[in-house]
Amino acid sequence: MPAFLARRILYALPILLGVSVVVFITIKLIPGDPVSTLLGPSATPAAKADLTARLGLNDPLPVQYLHWLWHALQGDLGTSLAMGQPALTLVTKAFGNTMVLLVTALVIATIGGVGFGLVLALRPKSLLARLVGGASLGAISIPQYTVAMLFLLLAVESKAFPVGGMHSTGATGVGDLASHLVLPAVAAALTPMGIVARMFSVAVGEVLAQDFVTNMRARGVRQPAIVRHAVHNALPALLTITGLQVGYLLGGVLFVETIFSWPGIGELVYQAISTRDMALIQAGVLLSAVLLVLVNVVVDTAHAAVDPRVRAA
Amino acid sequence: MSATGLDLPITGARKRRRPLRRRVAALPGSTLAGGTIVGVIVLGAVLAPVLSPDDPIVGSISQRLFDVGSAGHVLGTDGQGRDILSRLMWGARPTLIAGVLPVLIATLIGTTLGLVAALSGGWPRTAIMRTLDVLYAFPAILLAIAIGAALGPGVLNAIVSLAIVLIAPIARVAEGEVLRVRSADFIESARVSGARWSTISRRHVLPNIAPALTVYCTSLIGLSIVYAAGLSFLGLGVSPPTADWGSMLNDLRQSIYDRPVLSLIPAIAIFLASIGFNLLGDGLRRQLDVNEEVAS
Amino acid sequence: MRGRTIGNAQVENIQLVAADASEALEVTDLRVEFRRGDRMRAVVRGVDFTLRPGRTLVLLGESGSGKSVTARALMRLDGAGANVSGRVGFGETDLLGLPEPVMAGLRGSAIGLVPQDPSGALDPLRKIGKQIAEVLIRHGAAFSPKEAKPQAAELLARVGIPDPPRVLDALPHELSGGMRQRVAIALAIACRPRVLIADEPTTALDVTVQAQVLELFASLCADLKVALLLVTHDVGVARAIGDDVAVMYAGRLVEFGPAREVLDAPAHPYTAGLLDAVPTPGVARGTLRAIPGRPPSPDEPGLDDRCALAPRCRFATAACSEHRPPLAAVGPGRLAACDVVGGRVPRTAPEPEAAAETSTDPTTDAPLEVLS
Repeated sequence: MPAFLARRILYALPILLGVSVVVFITIKLIPGDPVSTLLGPSATPAAKADLTARLGLNDPLPVQYLHWLWHALQGDLGTSLAMGQPALTLVTKAFGNTMVLLVTALVIATIGGVGFGLVLALRPKSLLARLVGGASLGAISIPQYTVAMLFLLLAVESKAFPVGGMHSTGATGVGDLASHLVLPAVAAALTPMGIVARMFSVAVGEVLAQDFVTNMRARGVRQPAIVRHAVHNALPALLTITGLQVGYLLGGVLFVETIFSWPGIGELVYQAISTRDMALIQAGVLLSAVLLVLVNVVVDTAHAAVDPRVRAA
Repeated sequence: MSATGLDLPITGARKRRRPLRRRVAALPGSTLAGGTIVGVIVLGAVLAPVLSPDDPIVGSISQRLFDVGSAGHVLGTDGQGRDILSRLMWGARPTLIAGVLPVLIATLIGTTLGLVAALSGGWPRTAIMRTLDVLYAFPAILLAIAIGAALGPGVLNAIVSLAIVLIAPIARVAEGEVLRVRSADFIESARVSGARWSTISRRHVLPNIAPALTVYCTSLIGLSIVYAAGLSFLGLGVSPPTADWGSMLNDLRQSIYDRPVLSLIPAIAIFLASIGFNLLGDGLRRQLDVNEEVAS
Repeated sequence: MRGRTIGNAQVENIQLVAADASEALEVTDLRVEFRRGDRMRAVVRGVDFTLRPGRTLVLLGESGSGKSVTARALMRLDGAGANVSGRVGFGETDLLGLPEPVMAGLRGSAIGLVPQDPSGALDPLRKIGKQIAEVLIRHGAAFSPKEAKPQAAELLARVGIPDPPRVLDALPHELSGGMRQRVAIALAIACRPRVLIADEPTTALDVTVQAQVLELFASLCADLKVALLLVTHDVGVARAIGDDVAVMYAGRLVEFGPAREVLDAPAHPYTAGLLDAVPTPGVARGTLRAIPGRPPSPDEPGLDDRCALAPRCRFATAACSEHRPPLAAVGPGRLAACDVVGGRVPRTAPEPEAAAETSTDPTTDAPLEVLS
């Protein structure tokens, strides 16, 4: 298993390098001259030339990239112009809050998706399965910000939930956090839950159609035990499905955070866009992509742990 | 698939009308519902200059935040006193364009990349597919935001950034389909009989990957509209006085305490567009008889 | 026999011991139909046979003859779309009339199944030992995985697997096809069934392994006094292991009798055709003859009113297309369903190549040709 993990990490390195190149390119996409932007319209040509040289903007692009990468590896992703702090510091702080929301949503989506998926796979003709099937199709089509708006409205109207933020003023308890967490987490989880339910039901259905299931029946194995076998065999697929949802959630959480004023990456990026604070955006996107690459490494390794045939391959 | 509408002689027009109507009637209810939703939205967008009851840009301060069902303002007015129904109709234009156009562009580029990668093999394939792997490593909407934010706000920039994001998945599906088709016997025999790759891809490969690819790309339109509206919601779409659904959602959510229902209108409009296109795509999949796995 | 747990209830009343101990399973007028669209297609059209302890009955036939469906129907494994009628007598009990939970309790304990493809027999992600333990515990032969382990090892040793402890800890993909088939057999006999059904158990195996597996079946049959129903299309397998042979064609038995007698002196043209289609070492080239034409589809009309083989039969007369010959005694312990050949198919000398060629066209297949 360590060998598999090592191999998988080795494979991820070029991807990470590619990710850094893409983020670097997005900086270069910014139209206009960064020096003029920094110094303002009244700057003298000499001051401009001086800054251009100091920023290394006269170097060829590959050199500029290596320069940027060298700083990035040391944790220097530039300074947020709007907040006057290192971008990485701001982003890391917000990332923790995003993780609280994302992991909660992921757990809800997986548990709900597995439950509904089993209903779809095992009782495909039941009324419940038809309801679940229709609902999951709706859940897949509904944008996360639409759900978030609906839930926000619910919070406003019912007054049963706090309307936004992560904590009430002055409060720090877990209960307080949980009450703030419920609506945004469920809002973020709804679409992934629909996807997990559909894909997991397909995976379980495929297992149930395999010969070994019939042959287990021929040995008198009862239905609950057969379902256990089927779920076990569908676990590798579930891991892959859940891994995909992390990528989906990293994007979707952005809108949910903005709408619920959750102090995470999404909120930060939203504000950064309105102030054109590029360093913050780049840092947020880079960190998200790196996280996603690492999640994929974890998913693949877990996949190999569940299915020994993968390890051998 | 051969009936592209190009072969529609005047004499044939009458003959075709009835079978078409019967064919439409035979469609499943969900497809009809999807078609109706999309039809209404497109019609509203196209006929906005004629149908919209009010000016979408200039409001009246005395008519701020009218609720749904107010006289003269069926869907109410926003914080600047602008008629929401009018803004919804006019706003459908940039929303649809920013949703559909990226899919078209990405389909063109992605299919070409996939085709080249699968048919050339060797280092071009490695180069193309590894580059796509990198794009794939980003959460889709975040990559669009990074590119869109760098390029600056604007519909055109939103379209460019979404198209870039959509290229990777489309190219992957295209490559997989080409590889599947390429190994088929009839292509093998065309190759053995000395046909050139360019001929083979035009005559044999493209027609065979077209159904699955069409279904897949259609299935991306709903998602693309959601993303386009999302970018605009974050401030990366149209510039302020102009309406599009994402920016309307951001405007109206500011008044959620005063007029909670209003803030839902654009959110629901985007949802309807998304599910409308998804239902249509599902119907297309069934018509072309493409396996669901390809399209997911 | 003490009451045993079947399904969820303690069932005491089901008489699991045959009234006449010489019969393990008695099949009467078994019919299987599958729903296809809004029509039913009859795949098995009234089959009778008896399985006896310690004896092997080979069910022989081409693919599509209904033999595998018959085997699965005995265990009621055909799923919701199948309509099974007739009687499968297990002692006093008709298996077809049992509630599903009770039937499930008999599967794997009273009747074991050895599947065709050993790679599909086992859960790919579960260790062999656990899968054996599951069956032992399910049928009350063990109470815990710990208790099941020595039993499982013993079973593996019984089916000829070297180093059972290693195999218990192995996953299916780590074993060869032959080993997997042995494990499948071990699973089928784990709870000492009285009836064992093997559906083409050697088809997926290498020839050398085939012989070993057949040997294993023969020894199990003798030692455990199990009644074996072995389904195969392979005449060689039938000859190697069968005590009795039942030849199946188009959903019916066309011949039945002691294996040696049936295979040496067939009493039905179809059996003779099967034998002629087998390459035999030492016999001159050109003697190999395929049966012309194809077996009828179950949808073909009139299969109940005529001999289903008639269009393909060298001996067919006009009468063969007008009524269906019943399975009738043609000798001691022998049955055949043919009115024409009178209990013994004349073994013609090898036909010249040209004649063999024309005979592949069923329309020219006149009995005259045989007389000449």
